[in-house]
Amino acid sequence: MKCRLLFPALLFALLTGIAHASNETAENRLKASVGDVVTIVKGATNRDALITAVKPTLENILNFGIMTRRSIGPGWKQLTTDQQKEATRLFTTLILRTYTAKFTPGEYPSVEYKPSSSPAPGRVEIPTTSLYKGSRYDVVYRMEESGGWQITDVVIEGVSLVANYRTQFDAEFKQGGSEAVLKALHHAVMETK
Amino acid sequence: MKHTKLELSVGIFVLLGMAAIAYLTIKLGAGSMVGGKTYLIETRFANAGGIHPGCSVLLSGVTVGRVEGVRMDPSDYSAIVTLKLTGELRLPADSMASVKTSGLIGDKFVSLSPGADEAFLKAGERITLTESAVDLESLIGKMAFGSVDKGKENQEKVSKTKP
Repeated sequence: MKCRLLFPALLFALLTGIAHASNETAENRLKASVGDVVTIVKGATNRDALITAVKPTLENILNFGIMTRRSIGPGWKQLTTDQQKEATRLFTTLILRTYTAKFTPGEYPSVEYKPSSSPAPGRVEIPTTSLYKGSRYDVVYRMEESGGWQITDVVIEGVSLVANYRTQFDAEFKQGGSEAVLKALHHAVMETK
Repeated sequence: MKHTKLELSVGIFVLLGMAAIAYLTIKLGAGSMVGGKTYLIETRFANAGGIHPGCSVLLSGVTVGRVEGVRMDPSDYSAIVTLKLTGELRLPADSMASVKTSGLIGDKFVSLSPGADEAFLKAGERITLTESAVDLESLIGKMAFGSVDKGKENQEKVSKTKP
């Protein structure tokens, strides 16, 4: 009888331990990347230099492949392989430019980390509060394990980056198909120049 | 005798009418008007924003289900909302769910946005990519009154510049 109870108890303890360890790995990875970005922002003299310097760090921590696919939504499957590659390239540029446009070289945010949660196996949500230029923002980083922990969505003040882009790209796709999605991406990238 | 018969039939008619109204009220209120084959999936929100059983579930503006139940996950205090969806709806695994309001003070509903994953959600599975109800009051408050930290930061800057 005792053995019967012992096995589920051990399994539960093991799974809880694994989940806790995953959360910690994801948290450490996020903290290291945010630290790297802050160091780069501190040393940057102008925006172009900032984009060039911050790009490798962001490409390492953000999973642009998954983010592009999810942002385009159901229309993604209708894109040819070449169109998917082009969409990922454009989306990466769009995110990098939009992200770096928010930073003023020399000014950097202070980030406060809150306890993370694991909504499903292989997924971790890390809520943070960022204080930047006198304003406080609630930012939740959604991370997934695909080879290593990477960010797949960012929720700022309750608004998801992926959901926000999906609404726009899905509307474009319904109006003009895959060509319209790529055109909208081109247009958005040009606007961030 | 004639009068009694007439009164009886009027009574029965009124009773039937009341029973029909009661039936429709319960059915519409509980939200079990999603006919045919259905299945349940769970969604996890940081803030369910007052969603209750019976609220509509919309996809592209079309009602595809109802909220079956709302409970709290004691492990992380998140809200778990169970949705009852029509059987013919197949949702990709990376679909998203958001709590929305029709108009500024209208009814709350759950909006679904399908993703692009090859795998589909099965009955009992959970959508973790969600957007909670946007707290309009706090956003308006931030815009109207500014951030408390702004004053604090300015004070810090002034004290740093002073010898």
